[in-house]
Amino acid sequence: MNTTMRARWYVYAYCLYLLVPLYWLVNMSLRTRGDITAGLEVVPLNPTLGNFAEIFTNPVWFTALGNSLSYVVINTIISILVAVPAAYVFSRYRFLGDRQLFFWLLTNRMAPPAVFLLPFFQLYSAIGLFDTPLAVALAHCLFTVPLAVWILEGFISNVPVEIDEMARIDGHSFVFFFFRLFLPMIRGGIGVTVFFCFMFSWVELLLARTLTGSAAKPIAVVMTRTISASGIDWGVLAAAGVLTVLPGLVVVWFVRRHLVKGFAMGRV
Amino acid sequence: MQANTNKAWLGVLPVVLLVAFSAVIPLMTVVNYSVQDIFDVQTRVFVGFDWYRETLRDPRFVDALLRQILFSSLILVIEIPLGIVLARGLPREGRLLPLLLVLLAVPLLIPWNVVGMIWQIFARPDIGLLGAAVNAAGFDYNFTGVVTDAWVTLIAMDVWHWTSLVTLLTFAGLTAIPGACYQAAMLDDASRWQVFWYVEFPRIRSVLVIAVLLRLMDSLMIYTEPFVLTGGGPGNATTFLSQYLTSMAVGQFDVGPAAAFSVLYFLVILLLCWLFYTSVMGSSKGPDPYDEDGL
Amino acid sequence: MARITLNGIQHRYPGAPDATLKGIDLVINDGEAHALLGGSGAGKTTLLNVLSGLSEAFAGEICFDSKVVRFGERRNVAQVFQFPVLYEGLDVRGNLEFALKNAGWKRGARHERVADIAAKLEIADLLNRRPKDLTLFQKQLVAIGKALVRPDIALVLLDEPLTAVAPATKWRLRVMLKRIQRSLGMTMIYVTHDQTEALTFADRISVMDAGAIIQTDTAQALYERPLHEHVGYFIGSPGMSFLNTRVQDNQLWLADTLLGSTDAAPGLYKLGFRPEWARIVPLNDDHDIVLTVERTRIEHSDRGVPFGLMNAVCDGERLHTRQQLNEVGSVTLPAQAALKIDIARCSLYRDGWRVDGLLGGLLDGHAVG
Repeated sequence: MNTTMRARWYVYAYCLYLLVPLYWLVNMSLRTRGDITAGLEVVPLNPTLGNFAEIFTNPVWFTALGNSLSYVVINTIISILVAVPAAYVFSRYRFLGDRQLFFWLLTNRMAPPAVFLLPFFQLYSAIGLFDTPLAVALAHCLFTVPLAVWILEGFISNVPVEIDEMARIDGHSFVFFFFRLFLPMIRGGIGVTVFFCFMFSWVELLLARTLTGSAAKPIAVVMTRTISASGIDWGVLAAAGVLTVLPGLVVVWFVRRHLVKGFAMGRV
Repeated sequence: MQANTNKAWLGVLPVVLLVAFSAVIPLMTVVNYSVQDIFDVQTRVFVGFDWYRETLRDPRFVDALLRQILFSSLILVIEIPLGIVLARGLPREGRLLPLLLVLLAVPLLIPWNVVGMIWQIFARPDIGLLGAAVNAAGFDYNFTGVVTDAWVTLIAMDVWHWTSLVTLLTFAGLTAIPGACYQAAMLDDASRWQVFWYVEFPRIRSVLVIAVLLRLMDSLMIYTEPFVLTGGGPGNATTFLSQYLTSMAVGQFDVGPAAAFSVLYFLVILLLCWLFYTSVMGSSKGPDPYDEDGL
Repeated sequence: MARITLNGIQHRYPGAPDATLKGIDLVINDGEAHALLGGSGAGKTTLLNVLSGLSEAFAGEICFDSKVVRFGERRNVAQVFQFPVLYEGLDVRGNLEFALKNAGWKRGARHERVADIAAKLEIADLLNRRPKDLTLFQKQLVAIGKALVRPDIALVLLDEPLTAVAPATKWRLRVMLKRIQRSLGMTMIYVTHDQTEALTFADRISVMDAGAIIQTDTAQALYERPLHEHVGYFIGSPGMSFLNTRVQDNQLWLADTLLGSTDAAPGLYKLGFRPEWARIVPLNDDHDIVLTVERTRIEHSDRGVPFGLMNAVCDGERLHTRQQLNEVGSVTLPAQAALKIDIARCSLYRDGWRVDGLLGGLLDGHAVG
């Protein structure tokens, strides 16, 4: 089929479009500062791991990576913990104002982070959370929790209600049912939700930058600090860029088989 | 369906508390500021809708809003059709598929400032492959100096960053279509366009609505990538709402006007999303059966 | 309409160890209603896909009349699927005339043809409705209409078309299909795992198993002379019963009991018989075939006389008869009784396949012939 092959070539062309800037990032990360400013090299002639060595020998980067990972993980845990019961309730019960509540949750996904900068800064300063990973994690909950509830509600609605009733008839307690029977059934949905919480928390920078001072600075912010008095060290910057791409690559590699199914079954 | 309301509220309580803490309190703060003139912690004056009036008359706000709408429209017009074309071009099975999916997902998982940085070092005329190549090809290209170049670069970056989301969503919708539907269309001698319009489109509609909504709201909030890439320039040519707001709130400490701006900004996003959603859901009629009559 | 000829069709899915189709030879006459009958995994759907042009056979050829049709080549085939496949965005009329439009029909001719088909399927009043407003039954009718609408269609494929329809309406749809097939003289291939559907719909039936056609015949021939034990089991309710027998000096023996005469070569055989060809009677003398009656099931009664199935075990083999139920007398089951078989109607099977050979019954305990 001719048209199918043509459409396939569009995909390959787009993949090339995706890869070239990434290749250039890797290219830059393997060259020294002087080498980069001296001229263009499509293939690095004197590749060096010096930029990476500089990052790995500087403890600032490690602290920053630790900070980033800790708020991402805290955010993901909080999101899942509160979203699973809420999604279950939205899927299984009808109560006064349920639709309105659901919609109101979703509107929070539409709130621009810039709107919340100032009040968040004041709020977290007031309660003494400023410059902690927990502050960033809580702030990110603004986006990840509505999303998590939305995705999980889709997955839970695909589990027949009869399962709940059967467990009740079999005389299982609700707690036993929920943790031993129900949660394993929506494992895939929880996996997809973790992926999306991780993703949105990991890539966001505006809130993360505003709510941290020196102690809890995330890795993406430290990168911008490579701009020193003597100008930008492009090589180190590119190497840091490569290192921030890697966690995403690892995560997506692990969920690759469930990615499309998750997209299809859930709502996102 | 059970109607055990008490237990039901128990289940949503954590979410409600959490979101109340991280959304309602800040939003109340913003609304509160937007109707006051604050000189310092003790001295505040209630000013009613003055800040709103001022914001709406502020040409920089209006310009940023128009730029924002132009930007969001452009990226939707490019990314949605492109995403669909790519999703239809992806193989439905085989060893290549997981590899392509992983590659497509990669831009979605890169921190937004790194996205801006990648495109900066890619597009700069002095050290970037793209910038150098375009200039070598005889075009005068400088995204930090020329407005058109800045916009083209910004849109190319957003397409690079976000088209995958549309593709993945659409692809998920496409894989859920039973093979028999395609087979029937093939036996009916349906053209490729007919297959898309009559077989695929009705079945990926809902997933496309989600894709458009996500792209619409996220593009309306764009901040980090243009901040890193162009810094809002040249001049104010790529200063969108979030950047303008941030410069007001953080840079100048104009709390009152910034708060009014915030409220208006949020309302604009809600309004646009609501307009899109209701217009799509209202006209759920599908294609007209007699629109391509041979006579 | 056309005569379809399949010559040595073979198919294998990539990476599969065994071929899904192992050399299919079949001729389907012009205007014939043909059924492909078999369990899941028999290769019915694969054969259908090869016919419709969806899958490529790696060996063999398909002819529509005398024209060889290769993979990728256009063929005028229509298909009805397990669940109704319609264009959801179009109304019923739009669905029915979709293929006509693509074939370049003018509006007037299209409307006439659609009205004609809709009348035959009794869906004329649904033409302006949307698929989402139809019942599953109506949707499947429209899907059938879609398949029949092009007059140049050479072959209509029906892939278990009654699966999605409610049991109560299955019968109605089947009758309607059969009537239309007759009145339009269409060549149809009907794939099913349900023998009742196949037997009532088709002029001839091909029984498939493990990627091969075991027997192609009329319903009656499949019932009376199954070429393979599998066909015997599969056709009929209950299926054929089998007894382990031995041929020696032109005599047919069940253990120590002489059953009749035969011209089959000496050796071990299975004797296959239908429930109607045998009767269970009270034990009479020592030449009887002794069995144990385990259960009876009444099917109907005629003036107080019950008729139905008897289920018995003889020489370790389970068998069924259909007869007058009070013939054995009123005894508590399980009970010992004797089996009388109409040997002349039975068939002998060796390694699963039917062996040609005459069978004769007994006359006064002695083999005839």
